Amino acid sequence: MDNIEANTYLSQFIGKNLRIHTSDDRVFGGQMKCTDKDRNIILALTYEYRAPPLEEIKKVVEASGTSSATVNWSSRYVGLVVVPGTHVKKIEYEESAYSKGGVVL
Amino acid sequence: MAEDRLGHATTCEDHITPIVNHDGTGASQEVRPAEKRLSAGLPLRQAMKPPLAEPKTYDITEKFTKACSALEVGQLVKDEYFTLFESIGALEIMDPKMDSGFLQPGETLEDAYDTLAPILPEELISILDQLLCHEIAWHTGYPLSQTLFTSVYIDKLLWPEPKTFEQAQFYRGEISDDRRPGLLLEVLRAYCLALVKCCDFTIARITSRDYFEEEDFCTHTYNRVLLVQTPMDVFQRELDAAIERLEDHSEMDIEASLRGALIARLKFRKRFLSALDIDFPIDYIRHCWEQVSRKLPTISTTHQLGKVVPESFSFKIQRRLASTVPPRPIVELEFKDAFEKLQQLCIDCDEATRFVDIEPDPLEYQSFLWAFASRTPTPLPYSRAYLASLLFQESSLNIPLIDLRSLVLPCSPVLDPTNWALSPPRNPMLPKPPRLQLALFIDEFVERAGQCYLDLWTALGQNRCRLRRMLTHVVTGWDQLQMDAGIVDEDIMRVVTEMGIREQVLEYPLTTWVYHKKLWMIEKVVLLGFEQDIYLHDEFAGMYLFLSSVTGRRRDLLTTIKAHFDDRKRMFLSQNTPEALTNAQETDDGTRYISSLLHDASGISALSSALSKFYTKLNYLNLLPRPTRPFSTEDLRYELRMKPFLTLTPPEVYPFADFAAQVQPYAPPFFDSPPPSFSEALRTPESWLEIEDSVKRAKEEFSAVKKLGAKAAKSDSVAISWVKDVQGVLASCVALGVAVAGVKAAVEEGEEGRELGIRFEIPGIGIGKRYAEGWVVGKVVKS
Repeated sequence: MDNIEANTYLSQFIGKNLRIHTSDDRVFGGQMKCTDKDRNIILALTYEYRAPPLEEIKKVVEASGTSSATVNWSSRYVGLVVVPGTHVKKIEYEESAYSKGGVVL
Repeated sequence: MAEDRLGHATTCEDHITPIVNHDGTGASQEVRPAEKRLSAGLPLRQAMKPPLAEPKTYDITEKFTKACSALEVGQLVKDEYFTLFESIGALEIMDPKMDSGFLQPGETLEDAYDTLAPILPEELISILDQLLCHEIAWHTGYPLSQTLFTSVYIDKLLWPEPKTFEQAQFYRGEISDDRRPGLLLEVLRAYCLALVKCCDFTIARITSRDYFEEEDFCTHTYNRVLLVQTPMDVFQRELDAAIERLEDHSEMDIEASLRGALIARLKFRKRFLSALDIDFPIDYIRHCWEQVSRKLPTISTTHQLGKVVPESFSFKIQRRLASTVPPRPIVELEFKDAFEKLQQLCIDCDEATRFVDIEPDPLEYQSFLWAFASRTPTPLPYSRAYLASLLFQESSLNIPLIDLRSLVLPCSPVLDPTNWALSPPRNPMLPKPPRLQLALFIDEFVERAGQCYLDLWTALGQNRCRLRRMLTHVVTGWDQLQMDAGIVDEDIMRVVTEMGIREQVLEYPLTTWVYHKKLWMIEKVVLLGFEQDIYLHDEFAGMYLFLSSVTGRRRDLLTTIKAHFDDRKRMFLSQNTPEALTNAQETDDGTRYISSLLHDASGISALSSALSKFYTKLNYLNLLPRPTRPFSTEDLRYELRMKPFLTLTPPEVYPFADFAAQVQPYAPPFFDSPPPSFSEALRTPESWLEIEDSVKRAKEEFSAVKKLGAKAAKSDSVAISWVKDVQGVLASCVALGVAVAGVKAAVEEGEEGRELGIRFEIPGIGIGKRYAEGWVVGKVVKS
C-alpha cells in the first residue's frame, strides 16, 4: 500500500464511528478525528465501555438461575480522547444504519 | 439523563446497536458493543428481542494498521476542521495521569466497601461530618467528583439511577432479610438523600443567576440525577422518620450523647434543606437562616465523638463518572474550616434576607449590594446567588425612574405622574400634548437604561475581583447610554422650552444622570484596583491623579445639581401653596442625598489629589520601590492602565504628555539623583502646604458626610458597615497627615544630597493594616 492509497483509505473513516479495543480490554466508541503513522487515534464524543468483572457475572448468573442472564456493561462519556497506537488491540468500523456505504473496506 | 446501560446478552455477538453520538449530557440510549469475551463457559442462547436498525461492524485492524505504517513520519490523516488546539484537550488513554479509567496492574475497578455492613454510631457521626465537609468544599468551588461523589454511600444511592424514590437505597434489587439495613444505615440514608436534594437546590439557585462555571462554582453532576423530580416534603418525611426512630429508645440502645449528636445532625439537615428550598415563601424568609445557624453549635461540639471511616470515601468512583477531565484527588477540607465556612454561609444568607425589608429604592439597593460584595470573607457563590435571586425577583418598581428622580429631577414637571394620564389626539397628524411627549421620552429612555442598570447590578453580585473587571465593561455600556441620553435630552429641552418651564428643569438631566453614574463606576474601578493590589507602588501617584480628576468632574456635576435643587426649593417656597410646600419639603429631603454625594465626591477628590502629590514626591525621593522594566515604555504602560477608559466620551483620560507633566513635574529622569529643581521645591513650604491643605479639606468633607449620616447617603440598610467605611476613610486622612509630616520632618532635618534616614512602608492587602482598603497610605519608619 503506498502513501496515497493509505491516505485515501484512512481518510474515509474520518467522522465515522470506530470502536477501539485497548490492551486493558476496554472499548472506546467514538468518531475518528485523526490518526498518524504510529496508529495513534483521536476519537471525539467518545464513550468508554468496560466489561463487568467475572465475579459479578457469576453472581448474576447464580442469582437469576439462568445462564443467559444479562449482565450490564458499565459505560460512561469521556469526550475527546487519544488512544496511543501501542495500546490499540483491535479496531472496528461501525457502519451507520442510516448512511450505508461510502466506505471501501 | 444518559444512562448508558450496556445490556450484554452473553450469547449475542451480532446484535449491536450503533454507538449513538451525543454530547454526554443528553438522553438515554441503549448500547451493545460486539464483544464475546464474557462467555464465562456458559451455554449460550439467542437474546429474546434483537434491537432494530442493526448496524454492522467490521474488523479493520489489519488494513488500518498497514495503512498507518504507510504514512510518513509526522503526516496526519485528519478531519480538516480538527485543530491542533483541540487535540491538546484530548485525554490520553492508558496514561495514569490523564485516563481516569486506567487500572494499575492488579487493581480492581471498585473498592470492596460494603454499604450494607452495620456501622457504629460513632462511625455514623464521622461519616455525616465528612459528608458535610465535602458539601462545603463543593460550595467553595471544587467539583462534585472530588467531593461528595467520592462517597460510596451517595454513589450507591444515585447509581444505577433509581427509577423511583424507594429504589434509592444502598443496594439494588432484592436482598435477604438479614442483610436489610438497620436503624443507623436508615438514618444515614435519610441524611444522604436530603443532602443530595440540598445539592440539587444549590445548583438550581446558582444556575438561575449569573455565575461563572468552574471559576465560581461547578454544577457538573456527571450524569447523576440529583433526585430532581422528588418533591421536598418526601425528604423532610424521611428525616422526620429517622429522627423519630432515633428518639425511640426501645429500638436500639445508643449512648445518650451519640444519640443527641445524631439527632442534631438530622435536625440541622432538615432546617438547611428547607432554607435552601428554591420555592421557600418569601414572607417567611426572615428567620430561616437563623434557624439553621442555631443548629450548628451542637454539631461542632459533638464532632470529636466521631470515629473516622476513611474507606467510605473512594477515589475510584471517578472512574465511573462521565468525565472529560483527568482523575483528580479527593479534596480534603478540615472540619474546622468547613464548619467556619458553613457558619459564614448562614450568616451571609441571613444578611441577604434583610434585603426584602429595605426601603424600595434603587439607591438603597445599590448600597446594600455594594456592602454585601464588600463583606469579608467574600460571600460564597451560593450566598451571592441567593441575594441576586431576591434582588431580581418580580418587582413593580421602575428602577431607573426612581433613581433619576432622586438625582436630577426632584418634584419635576417632567416626571409629573399626570403626564402619563394624557391620551394622544385621535388624529395622528396632530402634535401630541407636550406633557404626553415628555412622558413618552422618559418611557423610551427608561426602557433603554434598563439593561445598563441590570448589567450594573449583575456586576455588583459578583466577587470583588470580577466586579472590578466587569465594571470596566459596564462603564462602556453606560457610555453608549450617555450618547443616547443626549438625544432624548435635546427633545426634552425643546419641549420644556416650548412649555415655558425650562427653568424648572435641570439642563440636560438625563445626560447628567448617566454621566454621574458612569463617573461613580470609574472611581470604583480605580479604588477596587488599589484594594486588590493591581497597581505597583510607583504607579500610585498616577492612579490617584486619575482618580482625583474623575472625581473632580463628578464633584462639579454635583455642584450644578445641588444648585438646581436649591433653586427648586426656593421656587416652591415662594409659591407658598400647600402643594408647593410639600414639594419644597420633598426637595429639601432630596438635597440631603445630593449634599452627601457632593461632600463624598469632594472628599475623594481632595484625598486622592493629596495622595497623588505625596506619592509623586516619594517617587523623587526614591522612597518607593521601582522595578526594572526593560521591555516597556512609560507611555505604553500608561495606555495599558487606562485601556478600559480610553474610548469614553467625553475623554476622562489625560493625554500621556499631560499625565507625565503632572506625575513627573521635575524633569525626568529622576531615578538615580533627584533633579535640582526638585530638591529646591522640597524645601519650599508651599509644596507641602498644598498637600496638607488637601488632606485637611478631605477630612472636613468626609466629616460632613459622616454627620449627614447613612440615611442621607441612602445607605440606611447597611448603616453599620457604612459608618465603618466612612471612619476608615477619615482614619486614612489622619494617617496621611502623619505620613506627610514624617517625610517633611526628615527632609528638613536631612542635609542636602544625603540619605534621608527613613523608609516608607506600604501596608499590604487583607491584613487589616489599611484603614480603608482602597486608600493606600504608607507609614514612615526610621531606618
